[in-house]
Amino acid sequence: MTTPVSIKGGRDGLRLVLDETASWEDVLDDLQHRLSHGTEFFQGAQITIDTGARALGDTEFSDLLHLMNEHGLQPSALATATPEGRSAGRTAGVATRPPSRVASPAPANDVEAALLVQRTLRSGQVLRHHGHLTVLGDVNPGAELMASGSIVVWGRLRGTAHAGALGDAAAVVCALELAPTLLRIADTLARPPESRPVGPEMARLTPKGIEVEPWESGKR
Amino acid sequence: MARVITITSGKGGVGKTTTTANLGTALAMHGQRVVVVDADIGLRNLDVVMGLENRIVYDLVDVVEGRCRLRQALIKDKRFPELFLLPAAQTRDKDAVSPDDMIALCNDLRREFDFVIVDSPAGIEGGFRNAIAGADEVLIVTTPEVSAVRDADRIVGLVEAFEKGHPRLILNRIRPHMVSRGDMMTTEDVVEILAIDLIGVVPDDEAIVTTTNRGEVAVMDRASKAGRAFSSIARRLLGEDVPMQVFTNDEGFFARLWESMGLRPKRAQR
Repeated sequence: MTTPVSIKGGRDGLRLVLDETASWEDVLDDLQHRLSHGTEFFQGAQITIDTGARALGDTEFSDLLHLMNEHGLQPSALATATPEGRSAGRTAGVATRPPSRVASPAPANDVEAALLVQRTLRSGQVLRHHGHLTVLGDVNPGAELMASGSIVVWGRLRGTAHAGALGDAAAVVCALELAPTLLRIADTLARPPESRPVGPEMARLTPKGIEVEPWESGKR
Repeated sequence: MARVITITSGKGGVGKTTTTANLGTALAMHGQRVVVVDADIGLRNLDVVMGLENRIVYDLVDVVEGRCRLRQALIKDKRFPELFLLPAAQTRDKDAVSPDDMIALCNDLRREFDFVIVDSPAGIEGGFRNAIAGADEVLIVTTPEVSAVRDADRIVGLVEAFEKGHPRLILNRIRPHMVSRGDMMTTEDVVEILAIDLIGVVPDDEAIVTTTNRGEVAVMDRASKAGRAFSSIARRLLGEDVPMQVFTNDEGFFARLWESMGLRPKRAQR
């Protein structure tokens, strides 16, 4: 009854669930088969890879990414329960999070370690992380950042950023140049004014809405 | 060792085909054996720009599908015996060719030429993926407009995702007088956003329209500013250290003279 690969639609988009007990060859074969039937549907789809309790290695994961790439699938995150899997995700620059099908005893605000991403995020690229997110590089217009914790951009933030995506109102967004096309903290949304002062700034949620202050003030 | 270079942009109409024709010709003028490949299957243009439209018998899809030998589909340029064109099919579409076909084709061409220049279609779909499949290097063409730069940024991300190394940038159709007035993005503005190496800046040149319509290329016209810029890019591709041209206004000398006498406001500082 269980197949090596199943694709499920959920609250947070598509999930590619790879059975943790099947052999890796079977998983890739089955995935190849599925993707080659219905290519159109999956073109450009953002998808979470769920490998469950499999101890996923770097080469296995890069084979998988290669196969997905060939069919135009964009991995948005890797859901894995193992340290090997998390390491493979980090090596490939894909955000990792615990798989949701494993009943999580941890409270919702117990976030994973912060993720450091060291590259330019370009138009069309999406970075999601359960925890704090740090980008060492520019976030260009058309790129999206999403984190359940805070977002720090050591560079220009010109794309969209959503901090506290699971409702954490204490999350902040900092950038050396804070000029996002759209800024969200928890469920509050703001669009910055056209002309912005230069220099590092921090955005946080106050009862009046999202407020942006120059970093110098050092408040918080 | 032959080099396969793909010219791409994301946005259409920024000058990919013109760039391909000019770089191909300029490299041939430097004695290189060059083939320009039109990978825009279904919307072929490169043959028209090079004035070789009426010589097409076989095309890229015929080669891939085995209806002719590679040699039969290659069209020799009118002016340079070492320059060849592999035209696209006009009656088919992108799906007629796969990335693997393109890799095999590029590898066949490597044996015969020093440079294989592939003209990519606009967009990020199959045609673009085919065009970069066999590439060693990628050159991204953009114009100093926000929409073109945004698309170029997307393309840079995809090129990096396909592990084609760091693409280099050609900034096309810059208008020096608009830049100096502060009405157009500067070279620095574009490079700052894209964060990739610049290989050349090409000024907007009306002569391109007339030469293109006649099936001639600008690099052969010594008077053409755009042609000279493309020649410089070709020399940079060959490893020469050619300084980047700084484009000033046509009336530069007088403008500076007036400025120095205080008769004109200083140009906007950007």
